[in-house]
Amino acid sequence: MNILIEKNKFSEAVHIVSRFAQKKSATLPALSSILIIAGDEGIKMRATNLETGIDLKLEGECTTKGVVAIPAIILQQIASLFTQEGKIIIEHIGEVISITSGTSKSSIKTIPYDDFPSIPFPENPKNRIVIPGILLRSLFTSIASCASTSTVRPELSSIYISIEGGILTAVATDSFRLAEKKVPLINKGLQGKFLIPAKNALDIAQALPDNDIIMSFDEHQCAFVSDKGMLVSRLTNAVYPDYRQIIPKESIVEAIILRKDFENALKRTTIFSDLFQKVRISFDPKKNVFSFFARNADIGESLETIPANISGSALELSFNHRYLSAVLSLTTSESVSLLAAGVGRPLIIKGMNDTSLLYLVSPMNQ
Amino acid sequence: MNKGDPRELWEYILTHIELSISPANFNTWFRNSFIVKIGEDGVVYIGVPSQFFKDWYLKKFNTLLLKIVRDVSYEFRNIEYLIVKDENRRLSKETKTVRSSALELPLDDFYINKSDNLNPRYTFDTFVIGSFNNLAYVAAQAALERPGITYNPLFIYGDTGRGKTHLIQAIGNHYKKQYQGRKVFYLTSEKFAVDYTDSVQAGTANRFKDKYRQYDLLIMDDVQFLSKKEKTQEELFHLFNALYDTNKQIIFSSDRPPAAIPDIAERLKGRLASGMAVDIGEPDPESRMAIVRKKAASHGVLLSDEVVDYVATSMNGSIRELEGMVNSIICHAQVKGFAPDIAEVRQSLRSFTRPQKNISVKNVVDKVAEFYGIDEESIYEKTRRREVVRPRQIIMYILREDFRISYPTIGTKLGGRDHTTVIHSCEKIKREIVVDSELAQEIQNIRTLLV
Repeated sequence: MNILIEKNKFSEAVHIVSRFAQKKSATLPALSSILIIAGDEGIKMRATNLETGIDLKLEGECTTKGVVAIPAIILQQIASLFTQEGKIIIEHIGEVISITSGTSKSSIKTIPYDDFPSIPFPENPKNRIVIPGILLRSLFTSIASCASTSTVRPELSSIYISIEGGILTAVATDSFRLAEKKVPLINKGLQGKFLIPAKNALDIAQALPDNDIIMSFDEHQCAFVSDKGMLVSRLTNAVYPDYRQIIPKESIVEAIILRKDFENALKRTTIFSDLFQKVRISFDPKKNVFSFFARNADIGESLETIPANISGSALELSFNHRYLSAVLSLTTSESVSLLAAGVGRPLIIKGMNDTSLLYLVSPMNQ
Repeated sequence: MNKGDPRELWEYILTHIELSISPANFNTWFRNSFIVKIGEDGVVYIGVPSQFFKDWYLKKFNTLLLKIVRDVSYEFRNIEYLIVKDENRRLSKETKTVRSSALELPLDDFYINKSDNLNPRYTFDTFVIGSFNNLAYVAAQAALERPGITYNPLFIYGDTGRGKTHLIQAIGNHYKKQYQGRKVFYLTSEKFAVDYTDSVQAGTANRFKDKYRQYDLLIMDDVQFLSKKEKTQEELFHLFNALYDTNKQIIFSSDRPPAAIPDIAERLKGRLASGMAVDIGEPDPESRMAIVRKKAASHGVLLSDEVVDYVATSMNGSIRELEGMVNSIICHAQVKGFAPDIAEVRQSLRSFTRPQKNISVKNVVDKVAEFYGIDEESIYEKTRRREVVRPRQIIMYILREDFRISYPTIGTKLGGRDHTTVIHSCEKIKREIVVDSELAQEIQNIRTLLV
């Protein structure tokens, strides 16, 4: 194999691909390595950890064809330290490859690539939608943090994606709060749903390009194909709880607050929250104010009152402040609307003029 | 090797594969796979964790695997690969279905409805009806038919672990289904008391009153804990009147009849007893067997009659303890992959039933004599006074049953008695505990003293 690649293109590709290689090298060495393929289809890099996989195309000149597997961590360290512009030459001689860049030359031992697994594509390619990569990336990165980090319930550590009537709905919950986000699609006819592990979704989001991609899926596998390459992930094979039934249908009070006020007041109150990270919120429709209150026996207490548009009856609820502030990363709208259904029932937070988001957080015991 | 057994076949395959590929490959690709089933048409179905595995198996290992299974028998025609559900990964073979049901169970109560506090797991479907609780069950059904009118309040009492909470929660769940739109609320009396004191502290007593008056069915568990809490009792008294006057159904449970709850205001006591007070008695052996069977079946484990019989009769006590025993058997079954037989059950339940510690004969004599309030010396004497004979027999029975001491040794240690005397005593007690529940209870109590 003999190939010629731009330095920055190479670094960028290694940076993306190495994320998909297995971190621990305890098992099969091929899994913690990057496979470089120079063939008829150009130059490609591949990596997989048997959860997710990537197949990325690279621009470059290929003089001799060949396949080689190199430990991802070594390649990553080399690529991150390239200085200056220019090109590198990768040459495969016997058991080693040499990477020549300007005046420096390094030789790396290769790994047998026979063991490198194939990257599976969904078996039924009929289920496919076209979606801008940038949209999917922001969807995954914002919502994945709401999924559970524990692996005890695989369905809760996954993002639930359902496609119906030209709308893609993504849901994540850790059973304390729930986030639902909707995005419109270009092709309308398709219906389907799947569960993608939140961890995999995050890895994939990092590697998604900005332009349109084709997302296809079957029962066990999903793939994201762009002109630059392909990303795949295993899907969680479990039943997602019927989350719609816990969303309160009616509310007794609604508050509309400026996002800026909400954010600042919450941040200041958080300082005084106790061990349980408890913050109490109260709706006061008479004075049209909304307030945050927190008390910590060791520090002191704080009350923040902010003007708000409140309709309904007075109510007080307590929450974990982390679950309240999480909503701010999910919407960009200028003001937020809080709907409460009563004592002990979950609170709904939405962005004003932002119908795409629904955030549900269950209160703490009083 | 039994080639029809998926587990044995898989182990055979693994030992062969291990020799032909590298350990790293073996660990990566074969550790989480297993044979799901062997089809009647000779197709072996191998369960793998994901598409990655399936593709790789087809590409790399298919011919090797096929060769190995063909060597075992020509009956195996082909190998198919299935991607198994996440719940079933890394589990042994036969328990697969068992496990998934055990794991999927909590899904239903994942979101316990906070507005009524009811646990959806408690339903009439899982409630075993026997002669001991038939009356309570019928009363519950009657109360459900005409809530607030037939039996109001319905007061259910019985010892701990007899299924009171199950019954009253099942009423709540059923009521919710039957009368949609009406409000149900379940709480323990302790929660009520805490809620009340909190509201007094916060100065929101009025909201507290309103909160409880809105329900169409109020279920309060363990009211005996209200004793000595006078203000809370008074609050309950007013709440009771408000609900009762508007024909709202109220259900209470307690571990003793209303009249026997100590330190509770007379006027409240009278009201608790004013509707229908039913007792859930001690479950009879048949009911206990039915409970054991139903509980095991709900986890997908089928127990032999022998095992059911042993579990149901080996220990008197609450249904809760019975369920604990069944759970430990189920856990056993899931780990090992098959239902345990009687010998294993006896072994694994020993900790539930019998004191384990080695203990001297003198110690047992001491404890029993103390329990019956007699002089321990008299046990060793030749006296045949009634109050001494019975404890002596119990000592012999315990020494024999729990500590496996030989009959002659027991005889010698207890004042040089003949071993036939000892055998007679043991048999006598063994016969009597079957019919005399009081005696059985006493022996159970003595056993707890010996642990």
